[in-house]
Amino acid sequence: MKRRDFLKGLVSTSYVVLSGASVLAPLNALAAAGAKKDDGWLTTGSHFGAFKMKRKNGVIDQVIPFDSDKYPSDMINGVKGLVYNPSRVRYPMVRLDFLLNGHKSNTSQRGDFRFVRVTWDKALHLLKDSLDEVQTKYGPSGLHAGQTGWRATGQLHSCTSHMQRAIGMHGNFVKKIGDYSTGAGQTILPYILGSTEVYAQGTSWSLILEESDTIILWSNDPYKNLQVGWNAETHESYAYLAQLKEKVKQGKIRVISIDPVVTKTQKYLGCEQLYVNPQTDVALMLGIAHEMVTKNLHDTKFIEGYSLGFDQFLPYLMGESDGVAKTPEWASEITSVSPEIIRDLAKVMTKGRTQMLMGWCIQRQQHGEQPYWMAAVLATMIGQIGLPGGGISYGHHYSSIGVPSSGAAAPGAFPRNLDEDQKPIFDSNDFKGASSTIPVARWIDSILEPGKTIDANGSKVTFPDIKMMVFSGNNPWNHHQDRNRMKQAFHKLECVVSIDVNWTATCRFSDIVLPACTTFERNDIDIYGSYANRGLLAMQKMVEPLYESLSDFEIFTRFAAVLGKEKEYTRGMSEKDWLVKLYNDCKAANAGKFEMPDFEGFWKEGYVYFGEGKPWTRHADFREDPEINPLGTPSGLIEIFSRKIAQYGYDDCPGHPTWMEKAERSHGGPGSNKFPVWMQSCHPDKRLHSQMCESAEFRETYAVKGREPVYMSPADAKQRGIKSGDIVRVFNDRGQLLAGAVVSNNYPQGVIRIQEGAWYGPVGADGSKEGGAKVGALCSYGDPNTLTMDIGTSKLAQACSAYTCLVDFEKYKGKVPEVSSFSGPIETQI
Amino acid sequence: MSASEMNASEMNSVAVVNQARAMVYRLLSSLFAKEVDHQLLHELTGEQAQAFLAQLASEPAFKQDIDTLISVLNTLKTDKALLELAADYCGLFLVGTKHSASPYASLYLNETGSETPLFGEQHQQMVQFLKQSQLQVQTSFPEPADHIAVILAYAEHICLNSGDAEQLKFIESYLNTWLGNFAAKVTQCDTGTFYSALARLTQSWVTSDLEGLSQTTH
Repeated sequence: MKRRDFLKGLVSTSYVVLSGASVLAPLNALAAAGAKKDDGWLTTGSHFGAFKMKRKNGVIDQVIPFDSDKYPSDMINGVKGLVYNPSRVRYPMVRLDFLLNGHKSNTSQRGDFRFVRVTWDKALHLLKDSLDEVQTKYGPSGLHAGQTGWRATGQLHSCTSHMQRAIGMHGNFVKKIGDYSTGAGQTILPYILGSTEVYAQGTSWSLILEESDTIILWSNDPYKNLQVGWNAETHESYAYLAQLKEKVKQGKIRVISIDPVVTKTQKYLGCEQLYVNPQTDVALMLGIAHEMVTKNLHDTKFIEGYSLGFDQFLPYLMGESDGVAKTPEWASEITSVSPEIIRDLAKVMTKGRTQMLMGWCIQRQQHGEQPYWMAAVLATMIGQIGLPGGGISYGHHYSSIGVPSSGAAAPGAFPRNLDEDQKPIFDSNDFKGASSTIPVARWIDSILEPGKTIDANGSKVTFPDIKMMVFSGNNPWNHHQDRNRMKQAFHKLECVVSIDVNWTATCRFSDIVLPACTTFERNDIDIYGSYANRGLLAMQKMVEPLYESLSDFEIFTRFAAVLGKEKEYTRGMSEKDWLVKLYNDCKAANAGKFEMPDFEGFWKEGYVYFGEGKPWTRHADFREDPEINPLGTPSGLIEIFSRKIAQYGYDDCPGHPTWMEKAERSHGGPGSNKFPVWMQSCHPDKRLHSQMCESAEFRETYAVKGREPVYMSPADAKQRGIKSGDIVRVFNDRGQLLAGAVVSNNYPQGVIRIQEGAWYGPVGADGSKEGGAKVGALCSYGDPNTLTMDIGTSKLAQACSAYTCLVDFEKYKGKVPEVSSFSGPIETQI
Repeated sequence: MSASEMNASEMNSVAVVNQARAMVYRLLSSLFAKEVDHQLLHELTGEQAQAFLAQLASEPAFKQDIDTLISVLNTLKTDKALLELAADYCGLFLVGTKHSASPYASLYLNETGSETPLFGEQHQQMVQFLKQSQLQVQTSFPEPADHIAVILAYAEHICLNSGDAEQLKFIESYLNTWLGNFAAKVTQCDTGTFYSALARLTQSWVTSDLEGLSQTTH
């Protein structure tokens, strides 16, 4: 009775809980009926491949690869985890101190702070107010909205395009040039071979399989990297790798993997490995070239007819200009490859047909321009550029390069720039003497040292005084180097905005965080196979955007509305209108060549196939007639010596390929006394850069004690008393991280691997929860860029040098912190 | 007094009791559903709500936590104070799952803990419960159905619409099984005092309510 009286007493207060409506509502009959449509299979595309998906009660249930994908990546098992992972940004959020104090907030709180939820309307007005303040006070040099990231699949909802068009309608801003993947390569190769090469279609695999006698995989692991593509990946390259494996087995093609590490590709193909000391590939190439000249193995006719400047290079090679002949013995000292093997390589590479397939890792190091240039020189000396199965490629490990293109016209995309007749609200182009475009990897330098002038690719770049950054679908707290340096830079920024799906570290270091939905929560169309252009995929919305997330189109349409420019932004068209337009424009461009149904038919079917393309040989036209089909170099020929580069007068990138010692190098190189181990941070095997790291269940298939694996040699492990499964602290003077040990014979002594894309999760230096925002913090998950060096490759490309990195490591005996990478902002006392 | 009159009175009494219980569940649901804003603060510091809270606090098990709630509410005199409380709410319930106390049943009922994907089994179960009762989660509340505010709101609904045995079963199986761990996590992660008091109050209330229900069902 007591309980009853107590409860009756509550009613007698006549209180009525009014506070907002109940979170429950009567069942909407229409919605309930709609949910029954769960049963059908929907089609979509992702970097990890195309797939079909089925829902259960409105939730993604089954994911299966596309029928035509014969080599699906197991990464599609992580797709559900991408959508439903607990790191999602659920609502628009603002850092509390920024909300209270705006551009005068305590910026040292970034990365370790308190956020509050705001409405979309409030968030978008705050964004506009911040942009107003920066444009008014500093002009366009105060805003960097050009630090953009990779890509989310879909031609309509490109995060970069939407953000830059919308922010561009407000005012002008600093932009980037280049990218982190191939910064050195894409800068040097236009001088040497006339195009970036790294993103160009290459000789068809079928021709390589037919014509090559020898394939050199130089720092190249296509079997690992071809799982992902720029567009929805078809994985057709794997069929060719399977044939190659067979030919290796039959002894018909000799494949040599030149790499310090036993790669996934080497293991798959069952091919040879040639170990080379890290960062010494140029010395090895010079040794091979020296032997070719000494034994007269090089193709002098090809060199004379198709290249320029061999004469200026030769004195350096033979030691006449610097007193050091680049003999196999000389190279052996640096590379640990025996002179006999170097001599044999020169013979092998010039006998029969040799296809060189270069990976991207060796250009992501100090002087990263050199190995690409010298490899082109070697290929020129071999004399097979333009022949099927010969010459050099810089891209066969990327997307569907080497798979013949269908030749169909690809669909356009939502515009990135303003339309011709449109003007921003703040139309000033006064960058106050600073550059409006800066090399991609030099933005932290720019924040820390505004006004400083550096050399870059033949020009002078003066760093703008950046006060505000806007990121969309971009996590530079993954791909940039040296976290502690980044923290110092971020303390100087007045406002940081991040639009993303998940609480990436970049979001955690932001003031305004806006939730974008995943690619699976919106309708779009994508190319199937970036280079193969095998067809078009309908990216059918799997589920409605979760929480209050919105599509990029919707986010920036709303922002444009805040600017009073909604119609200008969308050109008066809805998402559906745009999809139909992009499709119909593509259909018109392909009329008479490739049959395409009307939009409704396409959408219902889920895809259109363009069929297969014809085999093709890169640079065949140049070889056929270099006068009619010149390369895009200044001379139209392959430039072994570049007069243009020589004229720049750079000490770290002279006029011909040159071996230069690195700031840090293992195996007896500079700094190896203190930190004896080289850390490589290659593209991951189970992610696309940092995409997919948040997918928890899938991450557990490779993580070690919940941490990113650090792969190491048995000798290094034994020396430090480490066994597989141990938690290891990896460190140098720049930073420290925890990772999970995997001891493997694939690694030589003095080399460890931590794959890039491991989400940054800083905690206190001593492993305590507090102090992650501070300089010196410990990364609890194992982000290798905690340790890497933030210097340019050279005055030419000024690209990132992540691969020039020495570390040491030990068994971790301190307090083991919980991994903080996937948790959103962690509130601690400053 | 005739027998039929007694029954009517008894029935009325049961209805009043269930109405009271529903009010408590509704209040708890509202406080977990969103931040305390000006409107809610005005309501909670009003005379009737204060009387309601005072009556709740007359139960010793609830007193300390209700006192905390009231004293925090009385400090919310400025926008900044409201924002600080909103930041507590945000840090606990709106971001991440590991270093916060995300209010989803699934995170406390699965072995994978804070790494459990959302919109999973517990969400599906709640959707089914709601559907059976011709209900759904408000579109303005875009959260998984195993959010504590949804479960408490559903408890409110069944207080008024279901028999005691059914109520007991639901509250025991779908709320009480994880509420203790949730309340502990809130207490561990809360940088203020309001939400840890609210979580403990919810736990004490559910414990007491289950006791009451088990008496009436036996």
